[in-house]
Amino acid sequence: MSTTRNFQIAEEKKVSRKDILFSLARVPGTTTVFCGSSDGTVYHADLAEEKPEPVALEGEIRHRPGGYVTGLALADGNRRLVSGAYDAQLIWWDTETKKPVHRVENAHGKWIRKVVASPDGRMIASVADDMVCRLWDAGTGKLVAELQGHRIETPQHYPSMLFTCAFSPDGARLATADKTGHIIIWDVASRKEIAVADASCMYTWDPKQRRHSIGGVRSLAFSPDGRTLVAGGIGQIGNIDHLGANARLRFFDWEKAVTLAEVEATESKGLVERLAFHPGGDWLLGCGGDNGGFAILIDPQSHKVIYEGKATFHIHDFSLTDSPDRFIAAGHNGLVVKKIAVV
Amino acid sequence: MNHGQHFCGTSAHDISRRVFLSQSLAVGSGALLGTSGAVHALDEDALNAALKKTGRNVILLWLAGGASQLETWDPKPGRPTGGPFASIPTSVPGVHISELMPKMAKRMHRTTLIRSLNTGDGGHGTGAEMMLRGRKNEAALQYPDLGAIVAKELGRADSKVPGYVSFYSQTEGRGSGKLSPAFLGARYAPMNLDDGPMPPNLSRHDAITDLGHRDRARLRDLLSARFTSGRETDTMRSHSAAYARVHGLMSSEPLFDIELEPQWVRDRYGPSLFGQQALMARRMIEAGVSFVRVSRAWWDSHGQNFETHAEMVPELDHVMSTLMDDLDQRGLLDSTLVVAFGEFGRTPGVNASLGRDHFANAWSAAMFGCGLQGGAVYGKTDDDGNTVTEDEVGAGELFATILAAIGIDPDKEYHVGTRPIPLVNPGIKPIRSLLA
Repeated sequence: MSTTRNFQIAEEKKVSRKDILFSLARVPGTTTVFCGSSDGTVYHADLAEEKPEPVALEGEIRHRPGGYVTGLALADGNRRLVSGAYDAQLIWWDTETKKPVHRVENAHGKWIRKVVASPDGRMIASVADDMVCRLWDAGTGKLVAELQGHRIETPQHYPSMLFTCAFSPDGARLATADKTGHIIIWDVASRKEIAVADASCMYTWDPKQRRHSIGGVRSLAFSPDGRTLVAGGIGQIGNIDHLGANARLRFFDWEKAVTLAEVEATESKGLVERLAFHPGGDWLLGCGGDNGGFAILIDPQSHKVIYEGKATFHIHDFSLTDSPDRFIAAGHNGLVVKKIAVV
Repeated sequence: MNHGQHFCGTSAHDISRRVFLSQSLAVGSGALLGTSGAVHALDEDALNAALKKTGRNVILLWLAGGASQLETWDPKPGRPTGGPFASIPTSVPGVHISELMPKMAKRMHRTTLIRSLNTGDGGHGTGAEMMLRGRKNEAALQYPDLGAIVAKELGRADSKVPGYVSFYSQTEGRGSGKLSPAFLGARYAPMNLDDGPMPPNLSRHDAITDLGHRDRARLRDLLSARFTSGRETDTMRSHSAAYARVHGLMSSEPLFDIELEPQWVRDRYGPSLFGQQALMARRMIEAGVSFVRVSRAWWDSHGQNFETHAEMVPELDHVMSTLMDDLDQRGLLDSTLVVAFGEFGRTPGVNASLGRDHFANAWSAAMFGCGLQGGAVYGKTDDDGNTVTEDEVGAGELFATILAAIGIDPDKEYHVGTRPIPLVNPGIKPIRSLLA
């Protein structure tokens, strides 16, 4: 049930699947999407079809079966798709032929969690549980730089995880965020760390009842003017057997090192897996889930939740379409097209 | 390398554990145990050789909440149920385990796996109760748990240290399974070290000197001997034995002080609580404790199973492999059985929270040490891990196998009144092919 005030999100099309889709990239100006699967495969589909049937990208190069494909990014004028997976590989695909053209076999030492392209499409950033962010030339696939600043271990001496990253709209800044809630903002040109932000409220360490941890910052987004950085995750969890806490976002004026707001979506349980601003700054969309899924809209000015609603499934990634009142979401057992409407 | 006080190796020092304990306890904590670290001296080869001859012991690594067999001992990489982890080869040709366990993979030739547990009970409480007893309690009859049986069968009547110790520091699931000696009596109940490494109220009261403490004990013994003269009953004997055990415990206080272990040994086990308690377990086994349960809670990963296992399995891998090496280097692996399991495994299916739920139909246990065939892998599950396809093993068979490995006849019977109570249910047999 949604607590609609001015907005409504409705499902327009659904593609059911047996696998889990972790990543999504939409080719601008088309209805073609690429999605990364739990089976280690990248699929493409034309969502204009009445009953879209995702087709696997095939070739001599591929990800390891079972290596969750968690990152997809279109780059180099949309001629290339870069996929990153838990098998630590990055693979460059030709978006026309749908064939692999380049591979970096050990792009990272551990699971790749996210792959994003710079706004100009010339650079790829990947983050992984080796706690390194690597920058790659989108055209050649050559390693350009390594950004190291996240701790390898949590304060409790367990391996940490580097979940997400996001470029600022002008491409000059890159933010990376880890399991403990530590966020670093990098100057892309100099490769220097220029600011940090704290979202440790999204990391739960249970020292007594269960003695392990859960949570972390799962999504980042810069506002269209680049001044505000938003981190998405989950609040402190009482019973860490489950994702049993409300979705949570923290807004930062990262240049002034000020936390602007903390937002809890009280009807949405689980992780905020993906965030994206409306191009005009009208709203911020967040999607994610626990055993179910959710979509939330936040007013970027007031930081108020202006829409909360359940999604068909736990959403791991989404992409706004050319018309931002529609978005395509990928997640647990499916792919959906949703429409955001003002009512 | 000198890691502590050394015996010279002559036959004069080829003492038994009983002699050692009686001597060390007789002199109290001040002389031998206190300053020179006599508990640490238990690591000496001669003493361990003597200990090895005297009996077998068990360390249970209790994986409370249910660890995933797919992320440990029975991976299914590339299958829809397999999850994101790869499998790696082990020192046993053809046997692969999760990539999260590289250290145990190198030691697989010394490890015994059962991959075909079908125990049928996916409840935390009832599953734990069954796995700790090898069967379900009856409405009118509670069965003793594994630790109580081992303490009774392998513990020495004159031992001054507890026969059965249980660590369970996390609070979730602590009450599951309800450790109990049942009809065996309180003598075989566990000493529960839940809130710290040291039993509460163990130290002598500050107001009483060591000499005074021993004088009181001697006076009590004298009066007790006079009183019981001509009145020999079980009650009298039990009363006196209880006092002896209390005195034994008090004088073995250093046993619980991990600071007495050299720093390099503590470092070897790692900084985790689980590692430090595994080290404590080794100290206790050396000192004559028959059964130590080291619990590592809480594996109940309904949400984010893979991240939970990425955090916890490397710790398990490190602690198990370190314990194996340490026991081996001390000559104790031939007399100590280490078993690792919990109340159940986890579902092959991955839920929308990327979790795995309770699953008792096709899961795994791992063991190493005395009485077992190292490198043996028993049983098989289907390609997706949903069902057992070969050599199904129930809780009873696992229980019987553990007992047989440490030299206890699973067919032995206790009696409650006139009713014979076998250690395992009738018809249940150990897995002979796993026994050395």
